[in-house]
Amino acid sequence: MKLKTLSLALLALLTAGLASAKSIELLNVSYDPTRELYVDFNKAFAAHWKAKTGDTVTIKQSHGGSGKQARSVIDGLPADVVTLGLAGDVEALYDVAKLIPRDWQKRLPNNSSPYTSTIVLLVRKGNPKGIKDWDDLVKPGVDVITPNPKTSGGARWNYLAAWEYGRRKYGNDQKAKEFVRKLYKNVPVLDSGARGSTTTFVQRGIGDVFISWENEAFYAIKELGADKFEIVVPSLSILAEPPVTVVDKVAKKKGTEAVAKAYLEYLYSDEGQDIAGRNFYRPTAPAAVAKYAKQFPAVELFPFDKAFGNWTNVQKIHFADGGTFDQIYLGR
Amino acid sequence: MRNLTRFGSALLAAATFTTGLLGVPVDSSELQALREQVRALEQQLKIISRQIEIKDEAAAAAAPTTPKITVNDKGFTIASPDAANSIKFRGLVQLDSRLFFNDGGGVVNNAFVLRRARLGTEGLFAKKFSFQFVPEFAGSAVSILDANFGIAVSPALQLKFGKFKVPVGLEQLQSDTWTFFNERSIANNLVSNRDLGVQASGDILGGTLNYAVGVFGGLGDGGSTNNTDFDNEKEVAARLFATPFKGSAGSPLQGLSFGIGASVGRTKSAAARTAGYRTDGQQTFFSYTAATAGDGQNWRVSPQFDYRLGSLGVLGEYIVSTINVRPSASGAKAELQNKSWQLAAGYVLTGEDSSYAGVVPRTNFDLAAGTWGAFEVTGRVANVTVDDAAFPVFASAATSANEATAHGVGLNWYLGKAVAFKIDYYQTHFGFNAAAPATSSTPILRQDEKVFITRFQLSF
Repeated sequence: MKLKTLSLALLALLTAGLASAKSIELLNVSYDPTRELYVDFNKAFAAHWKAKTGDTVTIKQSHGGSGKQARSVIDGLPADVVTLGLAGDVEALYDVAKLIPRDWQKRLPNNSSPYTSTIVLLVRKGNPKGIKDWDDLVKPGVDVITPNPKTSGGARWNYLAAWEYGRRKYGNDQKAKEFVRKLYKNVPVLDSGARGSTTTFVQRGIGDVFISWENEAFYAIKELGADKFEIVVPSLSILAEPPVTVVDKVAKKKGTEAVAKAYLEYLYSDEGQDIAGRNFYRPTAPAAVAKYAKQFPAVELFPFDKAFGNWTNVQKIHFADGGTFDQIYLGR
Repeated sequence: MRNLTRFGSALLAAATFTTGLLGVPVDSSELQALREQVRALEQQLKIISRQIEIKDEAAAAAAPTTPKITVNDKGFTIASPDAANSIKFRGLVQLDSRLFFNDGGGVVNNAFVLRRARLGTEGLFAKKFSFQFVPEFAGSAVSILDANFGIAVSPALQLKFGKFKVPVGLEQLQSDTWTFFNERSIANNLVSNRDLGVQASGDILGGTLNYAVGVFGGLGDGGSTNNTDFDNEKEVAARLFATPFKGSAGSPLQGLSFGIGASVGRTKSAAARTAGYRTDGQQTFFSYTAATAGDGQNWRVSPQFDYRLGSLGVLGEYIVSTINVRPSASGAKAELQNKSWQLAAGYVLTGEDSSYAGVVPRTNFDLAAGTWGAFEVTGRVANVTVDDAAFPVFASAATSANEATAHGVGLNWYLGKAVAFKIDYYQTHFGFNAAAPATSSTPILRQDEKVFITRFQLSF
């Protein structure tokens, strides 16, 4: 009798154990250059979550131009979390589809940006066109590679960094517009995302200078060798703050809210920040900032909100149909 | 495009080599300029190449989400990229001319007729759920011809609900567009047409046997439902149709299909019996007296076959229709058995395959290109024999014939898959009950019916 009772107890324990260990799947919809970052980070988080809860979490990644990715989520791509290139694209999830709350940016530290980056200029080894600053990109005969700001978050940072440079150097928005117009006149190919532009510049050998995410420029040099490219740091650039958020409506429906939230919070952990630094994103936690300080060149960075206010206005003025970019590019 | 890029580099190499070979003094500034031109050319080629690449990538990325729109001679279709959902718009217009000969005069029957005018919609959702809605605009009022939806559980089990054709008659089940003749044969007078019901059907035994079985409201011969069925009596209809040699490529029997359709049910209303049997010229040659009503069991059975061998097509069926009727509410009940049959054939002169689903011309009619489409000649003989016991209690021997035998020949010109011109000649001979007077009271029955029917047809 005792043996039977013991067997039943063991069976019950085993069944309870099996029932409690869950298998969870998350979809992280991100922008173009974060592929390598999240491959590393997902492994780390899955191990962390397994150790903490016993659950197996698998994170699927989707990458593309930031604006395009936001559109896909609005159209039904079931993202548990988004880690996009700029706050304006995340904002659209609230504005258009109410997938997230209005105050989404206040839910995590640093305006929900666990890491930052900036925009630099990548040129071919030896810098044959003598590119030193934004001014050089508008010279005749210089082919500039940058993605389409209507679909790429990175390209919007590029555009705005150039605009602010033009405004500060020439004095007003009208002249800044003229400066940016000249710059886009030198753009022979518009990819839909940053990784596509990297392909255009690096693999297809097109263009003299690539306006690039800092992390993407480092990635190109790491992958293809310092003997092929070099980074030119402009005199002024923008502090790019790629934000992250849980897509509440989707996560709630899928029952993944808790793990999705923990996933994003882990980006702020020591391990998460270290992974960001290793992948050439600028960490925000002091320890990681100190650790990777030498990796990043010194550059004057201006915050987006100080120069342009908010993304809703910027989107409307510059990137909406018929906006400044359309006027510039379609009128080339 | 990469070849073009290589071409640019090769051009520079060739130019350098050639000048050296010819011993022509090379001006270094010219050479430098040439090099610069080639470099610029190479860069332009790379840019064009990449632009094409980006365009292709964008098209490939958009493909999974872009609905597919197809406009062809099968209709206008909008489908989801995975083809799981679609909506199709189809149309059929048939304009007929009927020209009767030697009909004794006094009968106004030569006519232009808008025989059919339909704009149908068919839809598919999640690959399994379908619907069909076909209004008929020809005639004096708009009517709903087909209105049904289906569930494709598997190829062996497909469910259909609504209004659709009852699975008994072979030619009756064929599309109006693709029959050998402009009008179905007089044999079809003995089967019902479209009814309200529920049907299960499917292909089994490796697709060599098609079955259909359903429960319907029940209709008289040649009848179609008026979209309501308020009585308690129903009809069960079923059909088995085998194509046993369909996998035997090269065999002369590959195109042989045969089977049997049948229905059985009970009815109790005037609508249970036929409103009238009609000739090929669509004139009524037999009808019951107005007070006659169906009362009791009725059944139909129809052995049938279809044979196709290259350009040759042959179709035949035999139909027996039995009905219990009363001449009035208090009159004595009788069981009547009417019979019909037909044998029809077609041969495509231009070499295309004959098919139950229509002839597809190899070329469209185009005078400039010297192409004429497809031509098919057809022939048919058919008969309807009404039970002698119908006379004189249930039908008047003076106004109705009890037998009709029709011969028909035709020429079909398929100007394209969607457009056809057809001309048929039919001659129908009538037989009468012994109680019939020497001269029928119905003028059209006093002599054989001879009629040309021509048709312009648009179908997609």
